[in-house]
Amino acid sequence: MKILIKKTTYFVLSFIIFASTACTDILDLKPLDKISGEALFSDPDGVKLYMADLYYYLPVEDFNYDPIKGFHVTDGIKDKNTQGFVTDSYSLDGAESAWGGTFAESDLLWWDEAYRLNRSVNLLIAEIPNLNVDEAAKKKLVGETSFIRAYLYYGLVKRYGGVPIITDVQEYIPGETDNLKVPRSTEKDTWDFILKECDKAIANLPLDASEWGSSDRRATKWAALALKSRVALHAASIAKYWLQAPLSGTAVDEGLVGIPDSAANRYYLEAIEASDSIMSSGKYSLYKPNPANPTEAAVNYQTLFETPSVAPEEVIFIKGFVRAGNKTSHNYDWWYQPQQTANGRAHPGRMNPTLDLIDMYESYDNPGYSAPVVTTQDGMVGDANGFVAKKKYLHFNSPEEIFKNKDARLFATINYPGAVWKDVKLVIQGGLVKPNGSSIIKTKGSYTHTDGITYYTYGAESQFNYSGFDSYGAGNMTRTGFLLRKFLQEKNDVAAAWNQSTTDYIDMRYAEVLLNYAEAVIESGYNANNAQQKAKNALNSIRFRAGHTVEIPLTIENVLRERRVELAFENRAIWDMMRRRTMHTEFTARRRMGLMPLLDLRGTSPQYIMVRMYFESTITFKEKWYYRAIPGTGANGLTQNPLY
Amino acid sequence: MKKRTIFLTVIACFLIILTSCELDNYDGPDAEISGSILDYETNELVRQDIMSGATISYIEHGYENPATQYMVIKNDGTYLNKLMFSATYTMNLTPGNFVPIEEQEVIVKGKTTLNFVVQPYIRVKNAKIEKVNNTIVATFNLQTTLPNQKVKTIGLYAHLLDIVGQPSNAFKLEQSIGAVVDETVEQKLILDLDAYSTSYFSGRQYYFIIGALLDVSQAKYNYAIPVQIQL
Repeated sequence: MKILIKKTTYFVLSFIIFASTACTDILDLKPLDKISGEALFSDPDGVKLYMADLYYYLPVEDFNYDPIKGFHVTDGIKDKNTQGFVTDSYSLDGAESAWGGTFAESDLLWWDEAYRLNRSVNLLIAEIPNLNVDEAAKKKLVGETSFIRAYLYYGLVKRYGGVPIITDVQEYIPGETDNLKVPRSTEKDTWDFILKECDKAIANLPLDASEWGSSDRRATKWAALALKSRVALHAASIAKYWLQAPLSGTAVDEGLVGIPDSAANRYYLEAIEASDSIMSSGKYSLYKPNPANPTEAAVNYQTLFETPSVAPEEVIFIKGFVRAGNKTSHNYDWWYQPQQTANGRAHPGRMNPTLDLIDMYESYDNPGYSAPVVTTQDGMVGDANGFVAKKKYLHFNSPEEIFKNKDARLFATINYPGAVWKDVKLVIQGGLVKPNGSSIIKTKGSYTHTDGITYYTYGAESQFNYSGFDSYGAGNMTRTGFLLRKFLQEKNDVAAAWNQSTTDYIDMRYAEVLLNYAEAVIESGYNANNAQQKAKNALNSIRFRAGHTVEIPLTIENVLRERRVELAFENRAIWDMMRRRTMHTEFTARRRMGLMPLLDLRGTSPQYIMVRMYFESTITFKEKWYYRAIPGTGANGLTQNPLY
Repeated sequence: MKKRTIFLTVIACFLIILTSCELDNYDGPDAEISGSILDYETNELVRQDIMSGATISYIEHGYENPATQYMVIKNDGTYLNKLMFSATYTMNLTPGNFVPIEEQEVIVKGKTTLNFVVQPYIRVKNAKIEKVNNTIVATFNLQTTLPNQKVKTIGLYAHLLDIVGQPSNAFKLEQSIGAVVDETVEQKLILDLDAYSTSYFSGRQYYFIIGALLDVSQAKYNYAIPVQIQL
């Protein structure tokens, strides 16, 4: 009994103590490691800091974009291990070395993060009128936030079609969620909203990055115009082509996906005008537009991506990578190094350009036409079924001879069999053919010839001295015969560890603007202001920069081939196929191709033959995948996209 | 004494934890549904592709913002789902190789059967696939069920498995038509095996199937029955 009383006393006492403390604000501490909203926005430097964060979270498909894990994988939160995937691993142009190149429904998503960024932008936009800065600075901020908003919604609309457009700072009233729910806008309205935001950005952003002061990577009027050119072309293509892959259902009936084709020409015109504003400004030009010869052209082109800072005349919008470490670096040199120069990196060789892409490159002998790699005496290129002993192959003393006279950009974009990379000759060989015609292909082995020399399947005995076709390291070797060269550091050594690459990523450059212009002109038949001639010149100026000397006519085939070659691996290819609705036609039971050099010992001296071959099983793209599934429709009540 | 208290406390804690480990209180799936996709005239099964073919979409009644669910239809045109919940559903077929049909409400309880009776776009009639010398010769007639509608493409598809079809084949021969096809005219596709010598394993059984695509928005291929041939 005594104990019980004692306990009760304690209990009551402690209750009183608790209750009394609640009456003071002693616990309402301001955190010491965080800045309040008012403090942040009252200081111009605070706004700058906030802005840096907004740029960081922009959906720029840069070196840190993984279609599976999303944007900025080296942010220290996400798992930086992308396995070397980029969007181009899903295109016709490249394949990841270990994994198949087929979509899953969980790929290319970007939703929660998008609306988080959207809220951050809205917070700043609402605060701009109250900021303690002059009108000119406010004008620039209006432009910059519009640019970010346009960029953001472009990232959404190209994935999901029409999305909810939220431009105010939503207030959460506990218990009430209905006021937070915003229905999807139609796809057309979403594109129009983005173009309007682009216009606002164009009207308010500075003419030169120097007006920002120290930072030359913030958006300018020209970046907004380049974005508009890209966005308008995308919208126009969907309007013109989306019925090539028709869908049905509520989302279609409500216009949430798809654009009436009557809108196509207006969008093309917007793309033309935005591109033309940049082209006629005289502000931008191609980097080193008149090379003396193809060799020089190849060096120039490679340098442009290795050191983008050399080309302010071409680069319009850039994402900087500043120093090794989380957040401010990437892993291109880690993933895409050939095995021979891996220098201790555990997983090199991950990007394997396909023969499908190599075939696109022109030969200087035959300007205006892609020049598929010819491997046999009959010149047929249709068969890619691998080595057949009785077939009459062309013979080469060295594997790189087969690429002779090809477009300079091939040699600057691709590491091919026999290429010299970082002073090392790349050995990429898939097997050998013995004098009796039997072969060892993609199996580790060797053969000692009558001349007493031992030849190895993969061109060398040790896996550190070759870069192709072996299963070593589950993907360390290329399986297509090709590796990536563009964007990688050849001159500088990058430490062989995670998060060490600091090559800047060019998001928008002048060549893309020219190509957007040419495509929009030819697709719409626009001919005012001498547009047809201007478009032809634009197309050819890019080719001349690559060492071509003969003009080719303005046709859609020429523009699309040029686009694929010039912008290869800039993460544009997949979206070009999406907007033009060619993913499902190209990827119907499609097998992408590689090129396998074999050492042929049947002749008097060993020579190489090159074998066109499929390197993977078939890929089929479903038409519904042109739009991704909207997440959480059970809770947010949004109309789901067709067939999800 | 003290040890015993600790022991009892631990036991008590365990008991408390364990009581929360109840199985979730929802019943498992208790019903099944099966059926066929049938031709409204001939009453024959309408063959489907598993990959990017038509599917059955169904929405369970009684929920706010219900998600649409999908069932795959087998290649032969039948389907079976043994893990359904007893409830009322709205069901429909997603666009496929037939004229779109109206959605229907169905009460699923116990073993329910629901057939979808459709008008296939094309019937591949008198299909014959033979190996002649080193070629595969397919002859057939095409009956389109929509008047004056063009046939877009015809094709002969081969695969080791009977999932064979336009989206899943080891090798194929396709031919664009782009014209209205007369039912009485015999169509012929000749696939020269020499040209595909590296695409198949000699001596093995392959399934061959004739497919035809009508030039209609969202149409998928219609097929004959696959035929097995040793190569």
